[in-house]
Amino acid sequence: MADRALEGLRVVEFADETASYCGRLLADLGADVVKVEPPGGGRERHMPPFYRDQQSPDTSIAFWVHNTSKKSVVLDLETAGGRATARTLALTADVIIEDNPVGWMAERGLGFDELRREKPALVYTSVTGFGQTGPHAGYVYTDIVGQAMGGIMTLAGEASDPPVEIYGNQANVSASIQAAQGTLLAVLSADQSGRGQLVDVSAQEALSMSQETAMQTWDFQKKNRTRTGSRGLLPVDLPAMGVHEALDGHVMAYVLSPAGAGFPALIDWMRERGMAADLDDEAYAKICNELNMGWITRLMSDPAAAQEALPRVQHISDTVAAFFRTMTAVECYEEGQGRRLLIGIVSTPKTLSEDRQLRARHWFTQFEAEFLGAVVEFPGAPYRLSETPVVIQRPPRLGEHTEAILGALAKQTEVAR
Amino acid sequence: MTKLPLDGIRVADFSWFGAGPIGAQTLATFGAEVVRIESEKHIDSLRVVHPFALNPDGTFKSGYNVSGYFNNFNAGKLSITLDMNSEKGQEIGHRIVEKSDVFLTNFTPRVIEKWNLGYEKLAAINPRIIAAYAPMQGMEGPNRDFLGFGAVLTPVTGISFMSGHSHRPPIGVGTNYPDYVINPGHTVAAILAALRYRNRTGKGQCVELPQLESVVATLGTAVANYLANGTVEGRTGNRHPVYAPHGAFRCADDAESIGSTDRWVATACRDDAEWRALCRALGKAEVANDARFATAVARKANEDALETLLGEWVRAQRAETVMETLQAAGVPAGVVENAQDMLDRDEHLKARGYYVYLDHPETGRSAYDGPAMRLSETPGVLRAPAPLLGEHTMDVCERILGMSTDEVADLLAEGVLA
Repeated sequence: MADRALEGLRVVEFADETASYCGRLLADLGADVVKVEPPGGGRERHMPPFYRDQQSPDTSIAFWVHNTSKKSVVLDLETAGGRATARTLALTADVIIEDNPVGWMAERGLGFDELRREKPALVYTSVTGFGQTGPHAGYVYTDIVGQAMGGIMTLAGEASDPPVEIYGNQANVSASIQAAQGTLLAVLSADQSGRGQLVDVSAQEALSMSQETAMQTWDFQKKNRTRTGSRGLLPVDLPAMGVHEALDGHVMAYVLSPAGAGFPALIDWMRERGMAADLDDEAYAKICNELNMGWITRLMSDPAAAQEALPRVQHISDTVAAFFRTMTAVECYEEGQGRRLLIGIVSTPKTLSEDRQLRARHWFTQFEAEFLGAVVEFPGAPYRLSETPVVIQRPPRLGEHTEAILGALAKQTEVAR
Repeated sequence: MTKLPLDGIRVADFSWFGAGPIGAQTLATFGAEVVRIESEKHIDSLRVVHPFALNPDGTFKSGYNVSGYFNNFNAGKLSITLDMNSEKGQEIGHRIVEKSDVFLTNFTPRVIEKWNLGYEKLAAINPRIIAAYAPMQGMEGPNRDFLGFGAVLTPVTGISFMSGHSHRPPIGVGTNYPDYVINPGHTVAAILAALRYRNRTGKGQCVELPQLESVVATLGTAVANYLANGTVEGRTGNRHPVYAPHGAFRCADDAESIGSTDRWVATACRDDAEWRALCRALGKAEVANDARFATAVARKANEDALETLLGEWVRAQRAETVMETLQAAGVPAGVVENAQDMLDRDEHLKARGYYVYLDHPETGRSAYDGPAMRLSETPGVLRAPAPLLGEHTMDVCERILGMSTDEVADLLAEGVLA
């Protein structure tokens, strides 16, 4: 059997939606991750979609994608007995991951300071909306609030629409990814020094980098970047720039950007398909041959020339749009890229599932869910490590490992006595 | 001074744009010595795009060193200019790898091959190297040479299709979102795991992170739902499958919010108790029991009416007031913050000292994102602002590679160090 990168690293996780993906990253890399769950399971266990619409704590796909390769122990932390067992279990860990409201773990005897007193090498990662300190530390958090206060919602969508969140609980995902890095840094440090520490991650801060240039634009120029929708930062609508309809979906084109073969190569393609229409006429051909971002910038600085040229540019845009509409999105993408044109497919869950690159690379994985009598096909890992493969194992059923883990724990405790 | 987790680790950072450099910056922040290999002949485009620092007269500064876009991803690194298209340049590149623990790149497979930086070559030079490759679609496969960057990756990964309001086409999310946390963060996590393995076994390895795979892994629900159920989830704007209300609601305009005077508050009720608390907090306790909204199922069924009503309740109030009122009642709520809020108006971020201000020789004092993981004993630190292009060429050649001053002078004259 191949070595695992995080072999021998014991993680006890007291996490629900916010930090569960952090635990998953470590578990898939080989850490032994025990998830402590309340009776009935947390919010994520009850979140749709469900496998084949079988609604149960064991069949939530939303839970699955953040909880592969873990073990599950149910403990009621609202009882003294549950808390005592949790504490014993926590002290077997090298790493604690938790995402409860600030102070919640300490109230139950499971806070960083208390556990560290017993185990100085313990790494304790807390992932919350706003971090462990500061005036908003006690603020109630859920993903959309993180996306709002993390500065990315204000940048997304059309100016005339409400700001909009990014799909996929990205505040939680970002916080979890930051937490995984922080946890591993602290583990490396503890390996060297024998000293553990607190890793404090705020979802708000976790997203700040994703403002792209907005933060620096304010810092340098005292201007706020706003949401600019489909046009992005372009001054006018331009041919083969932005989202286009295809026969069965959409593609996103950036043909005028400096990378790739450039606009004339697109016209060649259209001509081959008999779709160049009148773009070879002199009035348009000249523009088509020169069209790139530099040309547009020069044009926009000359209002008279722009007024004359822009209707023609619009006609070129319309002709290109009509061309894309004659092909499937996959055809626009694969054939366009084959011609070194910067065109991306607007992938759907279906096209991703069929994507020839992902399939050729055997990216998707499978696990057996014997309790469903099914082999489940599942999205793969973010990375491949040549010596220490990432392995994605079936997410645990609620409390699946309670007996085994608590039994082993009781035995150890007895031996210790 | 406290020993940082990556003290003594050297990183050969052959990356550019966002996803690679941000990851290497995190390594630098936690103690690694990061040598960023650049070339004026193959300039990182982020060095020459907005936002630029301003001159005192309000005009933009110019040159390679004044872009906030670049600088925010490269703090604390050393910069060497090296022409990797030349044989001698490659030889020096290999010598840097020989002296490094980690190699990182997000160049395309074509460029990797041209520059002779494939894993087999690097492992032959330095068997302990952890070599991380983060190409767009993978080092192999039928689409490995497809063109792309963050703006294309967002649609190709499915983020664009899944995000946004349902009445709009899939226009994307306003930024090259995967570049900034998902891809650099996954890359660093893999590198750190590989470092732990090397510490235990002495073995280096190859890490491959196709950016497509890294991002789709975070959209697992949509893809897994299709694989399991054949369901294609579409755009639902700010709506949530269970929670309602769940959205952004317009509040009173704020003239002090520069160029972005419309103000919004995001809020969500995850259960009936939060809904009742919201109603009471906004002085509408009687609505809590309205049968159209009393249960989560009812609120989902009457979501249009629910949103209209909530929108009316908050429209005349300051967004900050709504946030504070709802938070005091235990309801998740937050202002839709812009960069001005984040840097200047959010007292919480200020109290936590998240943004770091560094003196840069060309931009002056400017803001950087601090590390988003706060380690109590070994806090990361941005030790220096982003380097000027080639600022450390001499230092790297002499101190790290052990070249003589004459040797460096020759290479400079030959244009290898450019």
